[in-house]
Amino acid sequence: MSQTASSPLSPPPAIELRGVSRRFADPGGRLVGVLPTSLSIPTGEIHGIIGFSGAGKSTLLRIVNLLERPDAGEVIVHGQDLTRLSAAGLRRARHRIGMIFQHFNLLHNQTVADNVALPMRIAGENPARIRERVKACLDFVGLAEKADVYPGRLSGGQKQRVAIARALAPEPHVLLADEPTSALDPRTTLDLLGVLADANRQFGVSILLVSHEMEVIRRLCHRVSVMEGGRIVEQLDIADGRIPEGSRLARWLSDFGAVGPAASPSPAGRPDAGTGHHFALEAAHA
Amino acid sequence: MPETTSLLDTLNELLPEILKATGETLLMMAICLSAAIVIGGALGLLVFLTGRGQSLERFRAFNLVANGVINVVRSFPFIILLVAISPFTRVIAGTSIGPLAASVPLSIAAIFYFARLIEQTLRDVPRGVIEAAEAMGASPLQIVRHVLLVEARSGLVLAVTVLAVSFLSYSAVAGVVGGGGIGDLAIRYGYYRFQTDVMLITIVLLVVLVQSIQFLGQWAARHVDKR
Repeated sequence: MSQTASSPLSPPPAIELRGVSRRFADPGGRLVGVLPTSLSIPTGEIHGIIGFSGAGKSTLLRIVNLLERPDAGEVIVHGQDLTRLSAAGLRRARHRIGMIFQHFNLLHNQTVADNVALPMRIAGENPARIRERVKACLDFVGLAEKADVYPGRLSGGQKQRVAIARALAPEPHVLLADEPTSALDPRTTLDLLGVLADANRQFGVSILLVSHEMEVIRRLCHRVSVMEGGRIVEQLDIADGRIPEGSRLARWLSDFGAVGPAASPSPAGRPDAGTGHHFALEAAHA
Repeated sequence: MPETTSLLDTLNELLPEILKATGETLLMMAICLSAAIVIGGALGLLVFLTGRGQSLERFRAFNLVANGVINVVRSFPFIILLVAISPFTRVIAGTSIGPLAASVPLSIAAIFYFARLIEQTLRDVPRGVIEAAEAMGASPLQIVRHVLLVEARSGLVLAVTVLAVSFLSYSAVAGVVGGGGIGDLAIRYGYYRFQTDVMLITIVLLVVLVQSIQFLGQWAARHVDKR
């Protein structure tokens, strides 16, 4: 196990990426991916990654659980360098790293309860413990009454809630979220951000979230890393919901005509109504 | 020339033969379908798992060899395969005539036919769902058990249905070389002896069998599909 650099006072980071890189050719033959990049996320933080398509943000996220194996660098999650683990060791480490996806990726031929139980069955938990966790997690996301329903009968927002319950069931140290609201409408997006914030508060799970939607990042994240061309070009503290003036992110927002309440919100004026605009960076390259 | 006898008389007269032939056909089907599902199913699964981007991609050499073998066996017209492997059949079954002997080439053809069918059916499982299981720390075997066999199950049922219908017709071809079964009956009486009524009876029998298999397969596939 590798030592992580931390003072005795602060707990080790939840995630620490040291000089990770991963390059590959996109369908157009252009080299994309992640240039040598480091990122440290303290335990309990909700960290956002924002950037345009092809900036490497999804690749960086997928490096954290080694769905994408970096060409170089160290990936330390909960004090363990995943790149040094055997196949079996990596599987064990993954049992405690939750992940949710843009398209939910639920099993359509299994009930909601069986979907939530899946990661614990894979981890070899005993049935009594699985039943207890499935119930607790479905209660948490507010879908206890849908336990015996198949996902095909749920709305998009409900499917993502099931996916969140599934990710939380094995009590992960870290939750990875890959564009989790990009397939959802604005109101459902807000509901889901509430669920993720609650999970962070109640269970202390650290969250790393990739999104191209500024509103999602601004509402949920404590800090944000801005990616461009495969590297992190800026890191901002946005715990108060403000995008610091003069930052590259603030410039982007003004360049793409999305300046408004999102760019300089008053802390009191953060309406949680479902009418919030989506200041999506994707507007720029749509 | 036979006198004008009614279809019913023929049926009555040939009933023991028809029953025996049906039994032989069912025996051949049972053997070759079992072999195909067990061996061909496993082969198809392995070919899928060793394919590009899948969890056992590092065994790509196996994938290339297995794909080649499947294609070669599937290139043989069945009747040629039947004749070509008859020495092998004699070793396995002790004889090259009768339903048991015919089951050998039938099984070989069915194994590779079904392997391809399974590999293609599994491709319909969305990549994202497999990836979600990988992110949970699932082993390749767990992915097979908890994801592939669950999400593809209605497609798998339909694959068995297609297999059964195809090999009902292949088993009739086996009749040509004395394999027995319904096809053998059709050839001996209906074709060689110009007994059109026997031909008719066997065709009706085959149509009923195919319809039943298809109906049952589609019902089961619908039943297990919750998507």
